[in-house]
Amino acid sequence: MSDSPLIDRLIEALRCLPGVGPKSSQRIAYHLLERNREGARRLAVALQEAADGVGRCGECRTLSENVLCRLCASDKRNAAQLCVVENPVDVQAIEHTTSYQGRYFVLMGHLSPLDGIGPEDIGLDQLEQRFRQGRVSEVILATNPTVEGEATAHYIADMAREHGIRASRIAYGVPFGGELEYVDAGTLSHAIAGRRDI
Amino acid sequence: MTHIPPSAHGKAMLEPAYILHHRPYRDSSLLLETFTPGHGRIALIARGARRPKSRLHGLLQPFQPLLASWSMRGELGTLTAVEPRDGDGPRGRALISGFYMNELLMRLLHRHDPHPGLFAVYESALRRLAAPGLSAPGEQSVLRLFELTLLRELGYGLVLDHEITGGDPIRSEEVYDYYPELGPVRTDATAETGAGDYAVRARPVRLHGGSLLALARGELCDAVHLHEAKRLMRTVLDARLGGRPLASRRLFRRGRGREAERVTGATVEGEGRA
Repeated sequence: MSDSPLIDRLIEALRCLPGVGPKSSQRIAYHLLERNREGARRLAVALQEAADGVGRCGECRTLSENVLCRLCASDKRNAAQLCVVENPVDVQAIEHTTSYQGRYFVLMGHLSPLDGIGPEDIGLDQLEQRFRQGRVSEVILATNPTVEGEATAHYIADMAREHGIRASRIAYGVPFGGELEYVDAGTLSHAIAGRRDI
Repeated sequence: MTHIPPSAHGKAMLEPAYILHHRPYRDSSLLLETFTPGHGRIALIARGARRPKSRLHGLLQPFQPLLASWSMRGELGTLTAVEPRDGDGPRGRALISGFYMNELLMRLLHRHDPHPGLFAVYESALRRLAAPGLSAPGEQSVLRLFELTLLRELGYGLVLDHEITGGDPIRSEEVYDYYPELGPVRTDATAETGAGDYAVRARPVRLHGGSLLALARGELCDAVHLHEAKRLMRTVLDARLGGRPLASRRLFRRGRGREAERVTGATVEGEGRA
């Protein structure tokens, strides 16, 4: 404990960062105050502006400071394809690494009945609205390969089917450059079940 | 201070286990609600299981048959080793039935209360749910028999073979009023035996003797039997769940929807309880 309430408050506030415990937050606080006040001011302003200004995209629910995010506002994206992901970072991952040209829908979570998270909590009423508008012809289910992600994907696939929309699930299997011997049993059995002609 | 039975302390080596539910714990760990034959439902911490490179990601999933080692101190244990065990869990739509069973176990089992018989029935129910091409009636039947065993293990076994006022054996063509806390009463006997008094406490479920006998035999295939068994089990379970509804019932709405709804007895809003 220092004798400065301001420093104590800063150390306490920094602990909201993921992976930051008491020791790290103290280190960060003293670093900013001793060596990088300019950076600290910039960080404070950026945090303030982001916390106040960033909301949700009205179409896909991802984080955005505009009514529509960049991808939903773009007329270059194929509106007939819709990729459903759990989190905004998943959009970034797919954008950086694949040539996907369609649009997204971000659930901000997955179905988890034991945590009391049901269809409305992850925006499935809004997604159904989108299906009803009739512009989507294919939905790609890119929820995480966990039991909850899988249940969510099947729930949405049933919804899509009711609206005559084609639903597909991202493939899973052995990581590129991996070795079969070290792949866990669940992944390997999915990979065998989802094999493809070559 | 809650009393902790002696079995709550000590170590276990590679005991069969299933994860019923997991949630984040601290920065990089998981808190696992685990179901085991010898120790019942226990809470275990898996240290570091949420780190990006953890090898436990694929393993620590609900419905995956596991062998788990842990050390227990008081209420909370620490997972020390875990290995996969042979066997398949449900996939796709059958996952919802799996969540439903897990939610029942979470809500009704006390921690550190061993139920080896229930564990075996849970495991065989998961295997039957994993069978490819399982029909909707087949899925319902799996859930009904699981519910029946769960209630019996908890000490709320259902009377399925005799009538409770006179002790007469159940006849399949006869119609009965089933009182959740008591058992079946022949409908024409309700008034004269005074069992009607209980109707104030709990409304009975009216059903055919055949449904009770099919449930007792563990052979539910007839549509009427399945439907009546669902209504019976739902009423009995609701009494044990104390009014808070099961969240997983909300998911039985879609696709195979109309059929799936009948699986656990999820009702459409406004339909009300019979």
